[in-house]
Amino acid sequence: MKSLLPIVRLLISASPWSMARGALLAIVVLLMGAGLLGLSGWFITATGIAGITGVGIAFDVFRPSAGVRFLALGRTVSRYGERLLTHDATLRALAALRVTLLRRQSSLHSRALARLRSEATLTRIVSDVDALDGVVLRLLLPALAALITQVVVFMMMGWLTDWWMAWALLAGYLPLSGLIFWWLAQQSMVPSVNVEANAQALRRAAIDMLRDRQAVILGGVLGQREAGLLNMDSQSRQAARKLDRAERSAQASIAFLVSVVAGLALIVGGYLVAQGVVSPAVGGMGIFVALALAETILPLKRGVAEVGRMSSAAQRINESLQSSIAKTLNPVNTDPSAPLLVVNTGQLTLTLNPGDTVALTGASGSGKSTLLMQIAGLEACPIQPDGSASLTIKGVPPCDWAEPALRKLVAVVPQRSTLIAGSIRDNLCLARNASDELLWKALTAVALQQVIAERGGLDAQLGEGGSGLSGGQSQRLCLARGILNRPELLLLDEPIEGLDAQTADQVLVGIRRYLPDVAILATLHRSADHAVFDRQVRLSL
Amino acid sequence: MGSSSYEKAKPSKRSAQQRIIAPISPQLRRASVLSLLAGLIWPAQAALVAWAISGWVMGEMDRTLWAAGLFVFGGLIRAMLDRRAGAYLFGAADQTIQRERELLITREARARASTSSAEIAALLVQKLPLLQPWVTRYYVAMTRVSVLPLVLLGLTFYVSWAAGLVLLVAGPLIPVFMALVGMAAEDASRKQMNEISTMNSMLMERLSAMLDIRLLGATERAADSFAERAEALRTRTMAVLRVAFLSSTVLELFSALGVAMLAVFIGFSLLGEITFGSWSVPLTLGEGLFVLLIAPEFFQPFRDLAAAWHDRADGLAVVAELEELDSAERVRFVGSAEMVAPLPGELSVSLHGAVAALPGRQVALPDFILRAGQSLAITGPSGAGKTTALAAIAGLVPVAHGQVFVCGGALDDTSADAWRRRISLIPQTPHFSDHTLREWLDPEGHGADPWPALTLAEARSLVERLPDGLDSRLGQSGGGVSGGEARRLMIARAVLSGRELILADEPTADLDPVTAAQVIRALRRLTDDGHSLLVATHDPALVEAMEFVVEIAPVSPEQEEAL
Repeated sequence: MKSLLPIVRLLISASPWSMARGALLAIVVLLMGAGLLGLSGWFITATGIAGITGVGIAFDVFRPSAGVRFLALGRTVSRYGERLLTHDATLRALAALRVTLLRRQSSLHSRALARLRSEATLTRIVSDVDALDGVVLRLLLPALAALITQVVVFMMMGWLTDWWMAWALLAGYLPLSGLIFWWLAQQSMVPSVNVEANAQALRRAAIDMLRDRQAVILGGVLGQREAGLLNMDSQSRQAARKLDRAERSAQASIAFLVSVVAGLALIVGGYLVAQGVVSPAVGGMGIFVALALAETILPLKRGVAEVGRMSSAAQRINESLQSSIAKTLNPVNTDPSAPLLVVNTGQLTLTLNPGDTVALTGASGSGKSTLLMQIAGLEACPIQPDGSASLTIKGVPPCDWAEPALRKLVAVVPQRSTLIAGSIRDNLCLARNASDELLWKALTAVALQQVIAERGGLDAQLGEGGSGLSGGQSQRLCLARGILNRPELLLLDEPIEGLDAQTADQVLVGIRRYLPDVAILATLHRSADHAVFDRQVRLSL
Repeated sequence: MGSSSYEKAKPSKRSAQQRIIAPISPQLRRASVLSLLAGLIWPAQAALVAWAISGWVMGEMDRTLWAAGLFVFGGLIRAMLDRRAGAYLFGAADQTIQRERELLITREARARASTSSAEIAALLVQKLPLLQPWVTRYYVAMTRVSVLPLVLLGLTFYVSWAAGLVLLVAGPLIPVFMALVGMAAEDASRKQMNEISTMNSMLMERLSAMLDIRLLGATERAADSFAERAEALRTRTMAVLRVAFLSSTVLELFSALGVAMLAVFIGFSLLGEITFGSWSVPLTLGEGLFVLLIAPEFFQPFRDLAAAWHDRADGLAVVAELEELDSAERVRFVGSAEMVAPLPGELSVSLHGAVAALPGRQVALPDFILRAGQSLAITGPSGAGKTTALAAIAGLVPVAHGQVFVCGGALDDTSADAWRRRISLIPQTPHFSDHTLREWLDPEGHGADPWPALTLAEARSLVERLPDGLDSRLGQSGGGVSGGEARRLMIARAVLSGRELILADEPTADLDPVTAAQVIRALRRLTDDGHSLLVATHDPALVEAMEFVVEIAPVSPEQEEAL
């Protein structure tokens, strides 16, 4: 439950004002509902008595009947306002939650960032965010509105009728409905988490079975796989059944509680009338108000049944937000005399100056990609035995650089880059806008101008994840995107893997020519002897 | 969730009725009856309250305890009836979802349609549960709306014809509004669902590209553009919601004003200022209170039905998708994919005038013979049927004409499972499931040491490089391995399966020459190791490395016509 607090703060801060107005109107709706039933009950009983005692002419019918009409109209109008405001606030909160998540996820280290590409991780994050959407709208707002309405009604009833009646309503509703919801939250804690977890497991298992179908058939294990899926289905439905049973029991308990409190109000009313404390009309108000107050607690049921899922989702989201690397925002004092890049680890000693082109080789697993990520500040910098940094850019370790300054200076094109749905232009201009001329120049540098021109130019659309280009073409588009920023230091991870010899040659030469003054460090497992490179360095294990 | 499918969805209501509702109609009937009974208790409770309060005026105070006791008892019965009805409804929905899921699970892998695995998974996990609100809410709401308002109307008329008239006039107006409002409300909720799903797909895409976005220094820009698009979506959605909520407000206004008018009318009648409209003049206090208490319940079933209306539309959309999938063309494989003893006899495969039957078309396959220990390349232009030939040999697609002989006998339903125990297939695109690499390499759970196979496939160092080695989970995207590495892992998997004949589909496609050479070396080592090898390829280097070559001619137009 505690894990929900930061999320609640975040959701509310997205639009505190419309959230507050929405909450206020929610209370007004509930209060007017109680007022409407209470006043109508009083009005009819009072007119009935007046009719019997024959003082009908003297009875002021206009003010109460105007009140009934006002409350009926006012309640409907407030309901409209409440719906609009809370939906608006919720939509703002939905966006705020996602934007915050995006901002914070970006400061994760490189391996965690790469994991974000897996569909299972993405599905989980999205399902968690979905669960959190309901925290305010289904849990916090209704609970707050219910509580405040109950208290206000208590004061009003005490003032208008009798404190006995007020206490009967408050003491009947608050502790018992609290108890029922506590029980529901306990009962649904585990199944509400399981329902979602099982659904995700079933989804993944179904995709696995279908995509791996040939191997499954050849292995003769199709029957087993199907049985496994059926078993998952039965588990997921079992969890749903538990959740449903808990919800139904809570629903029935609340419905019964409403009857009990209404019955109690009738008895207290009758007692007060018999004692001569109040008139029958005032005494009858209690049961009407008791019935109207049912509206305050019924909407809470759904939110409470999801508390388990919400808090486990909040826990995961909070955790993932905390695991990021702290970043300084202060500008750094660079050393103008220091070389652009100095690497001095046990595995490698390297100094890179503007205009250098260096091929970095090494066996698979020697840590070439990790080194590039360390230089880019996305992995913790290694420390030398004497405590000094083994990596410096202009004399400053990458992790001490302010993020924007480092990004301006260093561009990295990782081995498997990701494109997004949208036009070629959208993909190239992910970081900053550039003129068409510049875009075409960058595309020409990676020998992609013809392909893109044939596809309809810069506005040609790519599908989800950049689908529509071949593997080699998307790789080159990512290279173009990387060099477009005109960094001072360009790090390329296996830039020519999967390219044929001629294209590889065009790409290497094209990039060098496009960025003549830039220091380039490229990891390669072939063509490291290409003429474009000044030298080769090898990363030893 | 399925906004596009919703638009194209127009299942015949009768078939939806047949498929979904008919099997559970006993439960639905029981639930409806229980729910009706629960609804009928309320007038009795209302009568008790009216009776007690009118007693106070007449000084009959001893009615109170009786009335309160019976009222609470009525409430208990009502709660229990509703709870029981809910149990029947959940059971009905559960049974429906179980049946439909079982159908999908046991059909989709056996006979594959062209629907993507992601779509089937979405149907299975996200869409089938949409049948639940339809089943649990719509039918009961329908039954209640056809009985309860009539009963309450009758009771009101019994007390006062004018009060009954107010309801009678307001009542039939409601279905008119309901049609309007139901549609608008449906639109509103769907708009919001769409908004959330659009935002989610935007979020997923940005997150999956996050490493690149960060490296490009585009984090703030990406977050800002996300916020901007979300804001635009919000403005559009709110414009729709404003109208949608307005129309549902009109419905509420009608029922609220109806009840308010009734209250005022009753008040005036009780005072004796209105002397028409009631059978007993003047109206008694008890009668007045009774009508006031039951009037809101007259409107409630209509509102419930309006709320359940879009559940039905969603349910019907799911049924439409299920039906579309039912009628999709499918290819069944030969045999039943059960674990049986391997086919005896010396390994050999031969094709004689075989023609594979694919959905909607037939593909002629080349004739050839492959014996134990041999390696053979099937080559030819794209689309000529190389992949289909491999599938036919593995019994994954049936043949319409001609014969496939395996180990000297015909490949048919009786021999296919046993035959498949002797072959392994390396597909063109790898799929890494959500298992650890160790489990993925050995799906049958032999427990054999994977390292020799990985060494043979030149995949040892790449596994050692992975952060968790054999316990890494590569996931659906194959995160962390390149195309060539994935191929070598699949070769290791084939070796580890212990099968004699290995079928490989374009094992060197999309690889650079160095990596392709690695893969070819690994395949060569397989034959040296005593395996038989059958590859489909158009890579000259790979063809060169095989002992025999069979070329498939491109399909000529006349041939196509003849088939």
